[in-house]
Amino acid sequence: MVITDQYATKGIRRVPVELGGFAKNALGNFFQPGFLCLLILLLLLWELLPQTGLVPESLLPRLSTVAATFWNMLLHKDLALHVLYSLGRFFAAFGIAVALAVPLGLLMGWNAKIRAVLLPLWQLLAPIPPPAWAPMTIIIFGVSSGMHIFLMSIGIFYPVLFNTYQGVKDTDPRYLASARVFGASEFTLLRRVYFPHAFGAVIMSLKTGVAMGLVMLVIGEAYGGRMGIGFLLGQAKDYFLIPDMMVCMAVLGFIGWFLIEILKYVEIKLAVWKVGR
Amino acid sequence: MIEARGISKFFSVVNEQGLAEGLTAVLNVSLSIPDGAVVSLLGPSGCGKSTFLEILAGLQAPTDGQVRIDGKLVLEPLPSTRKEMEDYKRRYRFISPLANGVFSNHPRHDIAMIFQDYAIFPWMTAIQNIIFALKLRVAGAKGPGRAEMAEKARYYLSKVGLAEAENKYPSQLSGGMRQRLALARALAVEPKIILMDEPFAAVDALQREKLQDDLLRLRENAGAGGAPVSIVMVSHDVQEAVYLSDEVIVFSPGPGGTIRNRIPVALARPRARTSPELVEIQERIFAILQYDLNQESMYSI
Repeated sequence: MVITDQYATKGIRRVPVELGGFAKNALGNFFQPGFLCLLILLLLLWELLPQTGLVPESLLPRLSTVAATFWNMLLHKDLALHVLYSLGRFFAAFGIAVALAVPLGLLMGWNAKIRAVLLPLWQLLAPIPPPAWAPMTIIIFGVSSGMHIFLMSIGIFYPVLFNTYQGVKDTDPRYLASARVFGASEFTLLRRVYFPHAFGAVIMSLKTGVAMGLVMLVIGEAYGGRMGIGFLLGQAKDYFLIPDMMVCMAVLGFIGWFLIEILKYVEIKLAVWKVGR
Repeated sequence: MIEARGISKFFSVVNEQGLAEGLTAVLNVSLSIPDGAVVSLLGPSGCGKSTFLEILAGLQAPTDGQVRIDGKLVLEPLPSTRKEMEDYKRRYRFISPLANGVFSNHPRHDIAMIFQDYAIFPWMTAIQNIIFALKLRVAGAKGPGRAEMAEKARYYLSKVGLAEAENKYPSQLSGGMRQRLALARALAVEPKIILMDEPFAAVDALQREKLQDDLLRLRENAGAGGAPVSIVMVSHDVQEAVYLSDEVIVFSPGPGGTIRNRIPVALARPRARTSPELVEIQERIFAILQYDLNQESMYSI
């Protein structure tokens, strides 16, 4: 295994090594002959179908049109600023939801008494679809970043909570027993046994959380606000600008993909022990 | 010195009809194990010997009876009066009586335990596994520094022949190596007693013999002050039990395991695996187990 070699470079020189590793992991899937053929075929169809008139260009704008629109939006419509706003809200919501859900999940998985009190509460609240919270949230928070953040946190909270809880609860009792015999306190068990055991489940749930968060981002921003990628999408809808919509969709897709790739890389880095399996 | 007095353990289980039913796992077992002895608990599966071992370790509370290790109570006895019950409930409202504590680590007794499926942590490297155990053992007191602990961990890794594997994760080790690591971790904390739950059941026959010899060699003068470590071992394997032990304790078939026979093996070490005395004792034990099996099949149709 190369596990030890990887850590040979230290300090600032690690940065390019890690970036290289990340790029390799994230982009590796794309640079395969089979997929590249399919991708090029699809892109060509996207470009050529509207040109030949088989599909009306008003409904499916050409690839080149969309690319030009993207450039235009970057220059004249503050696309980057909108994306920054959305990302800022997203990360705030993500941070809040994870900071609440992971400790709660840990506690619920750890102690039967805490579970007995809290689990039924989440079982009652979780089935409420997160978008259903929107109208009430707007009345309470107004159309503000607070509302967007709250809606997104709700979407992210439940998958993270339930997966963490399940991962902790499924901890092999033998690991607990062997730590207990050595004298581990409950807190040590939580930190050194339950959490590492549940780590895979937590990362898995964060990926689901990213997806749910983006869904709630679009829904929340479509309800109102002056900034954000969802707002741009809504505006494009109002003016019937299909190329703009496609740019927004592509940007959202890219954000989701990128965040999930980051999580995957974190998992590879922090759960090295799983890679050997 | 382990003293178990009148240990019983009852479970309530749900039977096929969906009704609650009592199940006796261990019934009135009394046993005392002197310092430095190797004792095997032998019996058919389901006779409660593993449960008994976990009670000795303080991982399960006995329904009745007490275990003392060097005079210290392993778990406080269950309440018998209403007043005691209220007290007990108040004390253990949030955590189980089996827990060592909420925030500070307290080893209850000078024991280590080895499990059949190793129970070494897959998320720690070999050396981290040992340092984890060492850290817990010196908890509270001003323990040795990190470098010192790493030094000690390396020493025990080299003792079991895993010096090169210190930075490997358990998933990169073979079954025999994992069990060696578990052994190193148990020895590193310098316990007086090692409890083993079918420790060599999951490794192949050749490895098993080597591990058994290693265990006997390493337990000598591994304890505090150079005394041999006592070992209490649960086993399925008659040959293994007789070869390793000073005394073999045969449990009657479950449910409701009690001590059926206590068979001393008073032979000097090192022993030859095929020496006639050992074989004779093995055959005696086989005869006992066979007899019990026949009795059982006579009553169950």
